[in-house]
Amino acid sequence: MTAPRHRAGRAARIGIVAALVGITGSAGAQGATYTIDPTHTFVNFEILHFGTSYNRGRWDRKQGSVQFDRAARSGRVEVTIEMDSINTGVPPFDRHLKGKDFFDVAQHPQARFVGERFVFAGDKVTEVQGELTLRGKTVPLTLTARLFNCYQNPLFKREVCGGDFEATLRRSDFGMTYGLPAIAPDEVRLLIQVEAIRQ
Amino acid sequence: MKALRWLAAALPLLTAAGLALAEPVRYRLDPEHSFVHFEVLHFGTSTIRGRFGPVQGTVLLDRAAARGEVGLAIDTASIDTGLKVFDARLREADLLASTAHPQAYFVATRFRFDGERLAAVRGEFTLRGVSQPLELQARRFGCRQGGAREVCGGDFEAEVQRSAFGATFGLPFVADRVRLIVQVEGIRE
Repeated sequence: MTAPRHRAGRAARIGIVAALVGITGSAGAQGATYTIDPTHTFVNFEILHFGTSYNRGRWDRKQGSVQFDRAARSGRVEVTIEMDSINTGVPPFDRHLKGKDFFDVAQHPQARFVGERFVFAGDKVTEVQGELTLRGKTVPLTLTARLFNCYQNPLFKREVCGGDFEATLRRSDFGMTYGLPAIAPDEVRLLIQVEAIRQ
Repeated sequence: MKALRWLAAALPLLTAAGLALAEPVRYRLDPEHSFVHFEVLHFGTSTIRGRFGPVQGTVLLDRAAARGEVGLAIDTASIDTGLKVFDARLREADLLASTAHPQAYFVATRFRFDGERLAAVRGEFTLRGVSQPLELQARRFGCRQGGAREVCGGDFEAEVQRSAFGATFGLPFVADRVRLIVQVEGIRE
């Protein structure tokens, strides 16, 4: 039972690796280009449910790239999220979230974050300031780093930089007012894992 | 079905073992709001997250007597990280061993209250057939009237060393320490 799935898994994984390291980026004067590793890049969200417990979910499909110059302490990141890929583990909840009450994915299939100001402490990124475009509205958003690191990845045989970032947004800023405030509050916490492979 | 039989057998035994509850109320976990999320560090750089669930089980709660019992079953094959290749790898024998051990369990009879508030639940967690003591710390806990029925629930956290359960693949690139974040809501029966 498990052997064919295992082989299929290995083939898929090798395919992912080949695709990731095969993409050539333009390493310009402003440092190196990194391609987002979709296997270690996820946007998760948390929102309180009736004041009792946190509902959690994430988006499974995304792509993006990062220009990053540690020496010059500068960078630029652009990530696009396929909003239809929302996944909470509860299919009826996913359907509600995709509808007009929330993300309205038929009208707004993608969300985009563009961060053009990287704040450093030493050689670690501590903040990325940018703009989030969601449901047709563009709002400033700062991602705060909880972790940041670069390492030599033995699988890719390339440098990988990444970390954990957090942000809190108000869903009403993007026109999502359903269930305010009793069912769910305005504040939504984003927990972002990101790793990007040097090209 | 195996889990339900197991829980049905376990809970009366636990009660008979010495917890004479004054006025226990039984809650059944709401499958839309009962999940175990996990976090584990990848190459010391970023946090891998995933989820098991929905978690099945019941909770007996006696708030006046500050007592309770819980029995939960978690389908290990339900793991969902957003990446099917990764999920399939995690189900293999050197990690979750989902074929040999299709379910993980948490059974607890030691509920600690801080005044009215449930603060922690101490019990035994079984994964890959290995049982270890585990305390879930309540980050929040409360009850509300949900339509015609009372709903109680909250968020709980714990940490485990996966090597203690024999899930050793990928050490140390993927860390030994795994943080568990449990969302649970129970509907009064």
